[in-house]
Amino acid sequence: MSPRVRPRPPVPADLPELPTSLRGAGRVLDARLHLLDRQILDVDDVPVTTLDDLLVLTADGGELTTGEQPAFVDQLLTGPVLATRVFGGRPPASRWVRIPWADVTDVGVAVTLGVRGEGLDATWVQRWLRDHVIARIPGGRHDPG
Amino acid sequence: MILGDLLDAPVYADGGQLGFVVDVRLVLDGPVKGLRAAPRVVGLLVSARTGATFLGYERTDTNAPALVWRYLAWRHRGTFLVLWEDVVGVTGGAQRGTGDARVDLRPGFRRWSPALAPTGTGSRP
Repeated sequence: MSPRVRPRPPVPADLPELPTSLRGAGRVLDARLHLLDRQILDVDDVPVTTLDDLLVLTADGGELTTGEQPAFVDQLLTGPVLATRVFGGRPPASRWVRIPWADVTDVGVAVTLGVRGEGLDATWVQRWLRDHVIARIPGGRHDPG
Repeated sequence: MILGDLLDAPVYADGGQLGFVVDVRLVLDGPVKGLRAAPRVVGLLVSARTGATFLGYERTDTNAPALVWRYLAWRHRGTFLVLWEDVVGVTGGAQRGTGDARVDLRPGFRRWSPALAPTGTGSRP
């Protein structure tokens, strides 16, 4: 056996593995490991923004305070999180840009949407800069070449 | 509830602190919205020693580079999964929006392996 092969898994062996009946049959994701801080691409694979957080609600859209009710991810959230990552806390609810989970078509290295980024609130800064700044620069209204 | 409020939150049970929430486990088996099922919260990954996590070495079969694996596996030893049904209260900042929540578990909750996939079947979901 190659010395590079180390068969012993780091996962604790003394804890029972979660049976499928409790875990569910779908694809398993860990929020921090597989979703948060991933890039969000639109239907044309154009970068839209990054996934900063997730909104979790009950099945009927209610708020959660205990685990008595099943919890589901309802929206992807993006917003001005740089300062709160450094100093703590999180942006107020009014500052989040929300993308419904219904727009998600694939989760991989990036999160892919089934809609065009042009129509999302998450890209309004880019659109404003394009229309009000870039467009006023000579040659800024057409592709180079 | 903002999922990020749960991350790094202290976890309490039976009157004592067990550790910190390092991640939230989801499974894509909720109501179908658009083309995909909505992710359902299965449980919380709790580490006794640190609220930070890095690359998920403690829940996958990945064991290279060996030095990084050994350090991070040691750093996160004792990490366990607790089911969402065992959470009896999420209080504090999660309700006020300040981001410093506290998670309470029911007495007699069960600890499960944090492995993403059954051992030996690969690390990728």
